[in-house]
Amino acid sequence: MTLTGFWSTVKHTFGVKRLFWRIFIAFWLASILVMIATGFVLVNNFSSDEYNKRFFNDVISQAERIVWRYEHELATPTFQKSKLKNWISNKNNRDGHLIPMIIKDDGGKIIYKHRLNKIKLEDRAEQRVSGPSNRNYQVQIRKPQAPRIYKQVLYRFQSLQFGFIFIASALVSALLSWSIILPLNYLGAFSRRYANQQEVVSLPRKLLARGDELGDLALDIDFMVNKTHAAASAQQQLLHDVSHELRAPLARLQVSAALIEQKTPDSRHVKQIHNDCLRIDQLIQQILDYSKLEQSSPSIENSDINALCQQAIDNMAVNYPTIAVNFSPDDKVEISGYPEALLQAFDNIIGNACKYSDDGGLVEISTSAREHSVIVTVRDHGPGVDEQEMSKLLQPFYRAGNKMHTSGFGLGLSIAVKAIDKHKGELRISSPDDGGLCVEIVLPRELI
Amino acid sequence: MENDKYKILLVDDDATLCALLSEFLQEDGFAVETLNSGDAAVARLLESDEFDTVVLDIMMPGMSGLDVLRTVRAKQQIPILMLTGRGDDIDRIVGLEMGADDYLAKPCNPRELGARIRAIIRRTQQGNTNHIVHAQLHGILLDSGARTALVNNVALPLTGAEFNALSLLMERAGQTISKQDMTQEVLNRPLEAYDRAMDVHVSRIRQKLAAANIHDVIKSVRGVGYQMLTEPQLQQEKG
Repeated sequence: MTLTGFWSTVKHTFGVKRLFWRIFIAFWLASILVMIATGFVLVNNFSSDEYNKRFFNDVISQAERIVWRYEHELATPTFQKSKLKNWISNKNNRDGHLIPMIIKDDGGKIIYKHRLNKIKLEDRAEQRVSGPSNRNYQVQIRKPQAPRIYKQVLYRFQSLQFGFIFIASALVSALLSWSIILPLNYLGAFSRRYANQQEVVSLPRKLLARGDELGDLALDIDFMVNKTHAAASAQQQLLHDVSHELRAPLARLQVSAALIEQKTPDSRHVKQIHNDCLRIDQLIQQILDYSKLEQSSPSIENSDINALCQQAIDNMAVNYPTIAVNFSPDDKVEISGYPEALLQAFDNIIGNACKYSDDGGLVEISTSAREHSVIVTVRDHGPGVDEQEMSKLLQPFYRAGNKMHTSGFGLGLSIAVKAIDKHKGELRISSPDDGGLCVEIVLPRELI
Repeated sequence: MENDKYKILLVDDDATLCALLSEFLQEDGFAVETLNSGDAAVARLLESDEFDTVVLDIMMPGMSGLDVLRTVRAKQQIPILMLTGRGDDIDRIVGLEMGADDYLAKPCNPRELGARIRAIIRRTQQGNTNHIVHAQLHGILLDSGARTALVNNVALPLTGAEFNALSLLMERAGQTISKQDMTQEVLNRPLEAYDRAMDVHVSRIRQKLAAANIHDVIKSVRGVGYQMLTEPQLQQEKG
């Protein structure tokens, strides 16, 4: 599980689909392509000129030799054409290499010929040389053909400079990519933090004052978060005010009832009014608890689960003195979280277990420490819950079997779930085979 | 007879509620005076010591109940009962820490309020009728007659509830006293669910003892209550 978790983090951060890599690769490829294209053009011009020059130099020097030899031979009676080639290939040229050429004298007579027949006229180039006797000769050769350009380009790329340019362009691309991704990531974290903790921190001025599209986005998000927060606060304030306003007349109602009670003791109607006042008061309290969990975000504290369970058990001992509670705490069950919310959750879950137990019933509570989490199990031996009802249990205002119509509002478990959600924990309900209900609360140790 | 009635100052910004409560409490046998603002309450309390108890609402515009409590506590030890918003644990605990004797969640049954007021008054006046008892432990000298606790001849500034709690713990030193029993004996009322009053009083006593350089003499027994350690027990704990 840790490994897959690690892998998903890696995938999330460095996955191919991430914008970072897309921008990085796009820019890097683009810069490499530009480099190749530039290299191609440069190499093309430069090296073909170079090659042509060298080629013609070779041609001219060979042709001059031939002409010189030709004129020299012409002056001697034992002139033999075939020896000319041998002489040249033996004595003279680079590795005995004979350049294919035709040399004509100024009369148009071919004095030398070496493999040029198959070359079309339009592929031939002409040069002029002059012999020792100052006669002009025409030399026909094949147009120079520079070697394949990509070979030259590749050859150039093997050099150190190109290596440096390659790395530098990678760095620049990464930097560019990062500079786009960084503000995006920051904005993402900013909205996530608001969504999770309702904590509004102002965005850095630098980001807001960028002036580019990212700056606009930051401004928009800032605006949205502030607007949402204002709306949420207004709702919270309204709920708080309404409940407070409801409580004032309720308090007066209760005193009035008590005054009637003073005059006519043992009135069952007054008792009814008292009961209903208490009930309305509890409902107001639960709605407030529910909304408080949703809205407020106290600071994270070290919370001792055993102590909180014990506190909830103590609270229940006062309300349900006939229920026996068996608590088996484990060692090392501290987590970082919101102790008040946790206490509320334990109160409600343990309270439910007590409420649905018969007089003299047993509620078993245990905590157990895991490496990354703490598990609290609350088990009662009451009537339990049908399978079909199980999923509805967590809905607000749902009461199992509608049995306890006069006590509770069905908000207790919803409040508990909300508190556990706040800790990114999990609530599991199961019906053990031997009856009753088993509630398991899994709380991660670290709240991220 | 009129003079024998306990005199209560009732402070709440809800005038209608004040009138109703006052009617109820008068019928219940108290003499009641009502005020609707914190400032008026402070002025009235500082000019006169005729009241036996103050019932103080926390949520008031202007000077809140907590402000009144702070100002009055700095000057006198009159028993104060706070009316808190239900479920606002913080308010209750802050109130107790600032020296309130007890609290009651509003809306409340007025009969409960009457009972609480009687409990507070009975407790604070107990000392005057009892004969003088001295108890001594860990250098703390308790004088039940004068209702003072002395450490090295310096009086510990304890409120009524704190004094009662400390004297109960010292009387039964070495035994664990359950929170139920302590609440009943110290505050004269049964322990309620979500009732942190005893815990706050004990924690205040601990702080005050620590300020007088007496440490770790009151032990918490998880899930049960508190225990004042005897000298040998304290040695053992430390050893």
